[in-house]
Amino acid sequence: MTESTHDFTLDTAAALADDEEGAIEGKSPWYLAWRRLRRNYVALAFLLLFFVILAACLCAPLYKDHVAHTGPNTGHLGESFTRDGKQVLIVSKGGFGPNGEFTAGGIPVGPQLWHAGGRYVLGADNQGRDVAVRLLYGGLNSLAVGIGSAIICTFFAIVFALLAGFYGGATDWIISRFFDLIWAFPVLLLAIALGTALSINGFHHFGININSGSLWIPTLVISYVLIPYIGRPLRGQILSLREKEFIEAATAQGASPWRTMFSELLPNIASSVLVFFTLIIANNILTEAGLSFLGAGVQPPSPSWGTMIADGQSRIATAPWLAIIPGILIVLTVLSLNVFGDGLRDALDPRAKVRMER
Amino acid sequence: MTKRSRLTSFVGVLALISALAFLAGCGGGGNKSSSGDNSNAGSNSNSGKTYPVLRVVWDAPDYMDPQLYYTVAAYQINNYVWSGLLGYKHEAGPAGAQLVPYLAQSMPKVSADGMDLKFTLRPNLTYSNGKPVKASDFKYSIERAFKMDSPGVGFFSAIKGVSGDNGYAATKKGHISGIITNDANRTIEIKLDHPEGDILYILALEFAHVVPTGTPAADQSTHPIPATGPYMIQSYQPNRGFTLVRNPHFNNQIPTEPTGNPDKVVGTIITDPVAAYQRVVSGKADYDFQIVPNDRLPEAQSKYKDQLRIYTNANTYYYALNNAIPPFNNIQARKAVQMAIDPQAIISGVYGGLGRPTQNFLPPGYPQYKKINAWHFDLAAAKKLVQQSGTSGQSVDVYGPNEDPSKSSTEYLAGQLSKLGYKPKLHLLSHAVYFQTIGNQATKAQAMFTDWYQDYPHPLDWFDVLLNGDRITQQHNNNVGNVNVPAVNKEIASLKKITELTPEVNNRWAKVDSDLMVKNATTVPYMNRSSTDFFGSKMDMSCYTFSVVLYWDWGLSCMK
Repeated sequence: MTESTHDFTLDTAAALADDEEGAIEGKSPWYLAWRRLRRNYVALAFLLLFFVILAACLCAPLYKDHVAHTGPNTGHLGESFTRDGKQVLIVSKGGFGPNGEFTAGGIPVGPQLWHAGGRYVLGADNQGRDVAVRLLYGGLNSLAVGIGSAIICTFFAIVFALLAGFYGGATDWIISRFFDLIWAFPVLLLAIALGTALSINGFHHFGININSGSLWIPTLVISYVLIPYIGRPLRGQILSLREKEFIEAATAQGASPWRTMFSELLPNIASSVLVFFTLIIANNILTEAGLSFLGAGVQPPSPSWGTMIADGQSRIATAPWLAIIPGILIVLTVLSLNVFGDGLRDALDPRAKVRMER
Repeated sequence: MTKRSRLTSFVGVLALISALAFLAGCGGGGNKSSSGDNSNAGSNSNSGKTYPVLRVVWDAPDYMDPQLYYTVAAYQINNYVWSGLLGYKHEAGPAGAQLVPYLAQSMPKVSADGMDLKFTLRPNLTYSNGKPVKASDFKYSIERAFKMDSPGVGFFSAIKGVSGDNGYAATKKGHISGIITNDANRTIEIKLDHPEGDILYILALEFAHVVPTGTPAADQSTHPIPATGPYMIQSYQPNRGFTLVRNPHFNNQIPTEPTGNPDKVVGTIITDPVAAYQRVVSGKADYDFQIVPNDRLPEAQSKYKDQLRIYTNANTYYYALNNAIPPFNNIQARKAVQMAIDPQAIISGVYGGLGRPTQNFLPPGYPQYKKINAWHFDLAAAKKLVQQSGTSGQSVDVYGPNEDPSKSSTEYLAGQLSKLGYKPKLHLLSHAVYFQTIGNQATKAQAMFTDWYQDYPHPLDWFDVLLNGDRITQQHNNNVGNVNVPAVNKEIASLKKITELTPEVNNRWAKVDSDLMVKNATTVPYMNRSSTDFFGSKMDMSCYTFSVVLYWDWGLSCMK
């Protein structure tokens, strides 16, 4: 196999055809993208890693019922378990003895791996909860918030971008100012403010009732604050596309505005949307972790990787695994999505400056 | 140690003091000069143990203004800066609870009806700026507290001319008629509306510390007010640090107050307990004000055992259950929660062992304390009680602060409620709004984390303030569990009128404790929390002095 590297900076069909060795004739853009993507082994490897993490998290209920035999929020302070035939306190005992002598306690057991019959494989936290169970359920919550908010955010960004870009004028002005308004705030600070406010009493307006502690709160907060980050570039693309001949042709043929938007414009920004969607998931998982770490995201006792790091930081010297393990999972998940997202962008947008291995 | 819970602040320190001092000083009537000597109280000598600089890591004080500050962080450092007419003896143990004259020449002359107190200032008192201390400065200082809406003004409500629609507290105009001063004679007369058994302790509070007339009635934290004590503030930068130096005009003008050993105190404000601890370990500081975090406690205990001191002051940590609404308007449900809580597990897991289990509401050390041992941790029996109560499966709104260790303690409560068969819903709030929120009836909190550090070492400060059904309010309710046992309310009302704490009266208070905790299972007390003092290796621990009022008495510290 020969190896060559090409910079895709040329904007001509001839150059692209040359790069694709003349094999693009009669092939759909999606097929061509897939052909490029499948040759990007690094991106595919990280996609596989993401699916492994996702699958593991989806197996959380099975792990809870059949391996750990304890729930993610079930504390076991003052209890013990059997390891190699011996009783071991889940959280070490401390306090004052009969003569007033003091013994420091409160140190949770470390990772037991498989020495305790599946219990405390990754150790316990300071409430005596099984870290492995919380890690999987925390992953479910983190991924649910990350993916859920990415779907909502992307959906509204597309709608706003289409409306603003297609209609222009007052509609564009209103939507653009709305984007500006959100963009005027530092994104994380705005999310913290909204998350903190809503996590106290929930949201009970306009017939919508979301209780405090619901996963919908971080999901919607993250969706809201990130809409401009997708909406603005998409609006720019729409503004450019609506001046193209095929739009004029559609209009001349009597296509309604909605048909033009959703049948003509939307397919032409689909590749960008797909790339944005992949990358925004990673970004949203990070944002959720940050919010939860600060107490403005997923609310205790529900676990998320962010809350687990927050809980573990006070035990970093005596029980470092409490913060390190969820931290590693956040890194791996975000890394996998980012690397795959980059690969997807390279595959879908060959005009971008990329380096592709053949 | 961080700020005290609720508004109790430093006054909590007064706990044992007040109890002992109350008995010692305020008891009977008669025209007397209560322990009134002018002795040096055996503590003013520094015995040649002075040293150049004490470097401390401190928590952020709320203010550095005597009429405003209300936290231990501020009190512990500033009790050597400003002084009141009275103060506390700088001695370890119960002796440290004894009131002695500071700016006053002697203890006051109290009228037979207890409603008139007369003080005389010591002669030739001066502030750190060299200007004389006048009797009228005392009146000005109290009035300044009202003008600044000081958190301590409630303590002065018994002074004549303060309360009522036309009182100084309401109008803030004119002067307080119940404080009569004469600068020429250095006399101060305080008239009360009614006898107040703890008035001497109130006059020793920081809110009654004397500042020069004309000091602006606005926070002067960053513009140090001239001091009367052995030290003065050289600089204070909020959230960064402070420097105290010797007051050049002190000249042992308050013989009952030590002159202090360090020539200078350099405080660095670090609110992160881990960072604070590490600073002492690394030798960059000589004292860590914060409680050593659980994470570092094993290391501190094993590696730095000689530098670590552990103490338990007068406090009670308890779970409040809302007695007014389901499910905890059912006594069986409340008893079930008492049995489902394992104090030792919380102390170990949440507080690293720093606490002592309790079933009493009143902390140990009070003469009214009689240890209660009425139930034990038994989850199975507790579940049965819940079943019998018919409350199983009900949802419970559980409230707690969102910072550890209170957060973990609240999570433990929610976890145990879940094990009992309830459906707990956790609400974790910022400490800044937490007590306001649960003190509002509209919140309808059903189970809550809470704690209390004494304001005064009197059972009234516990049972009347926190568990008297007659004092339940719609907002700012201290009785967050809406505990309302009519027979106990009546008994508290009866005991309120008694100023002399005889053994018989003490037994009645002990019965109140038992009736509320055992017979009616109103509340779930589980711990008296302990704290730490952690020192650098250069400190000479033979000088360590812990006072029930002043905590670690840094003025008496010395170096190896």
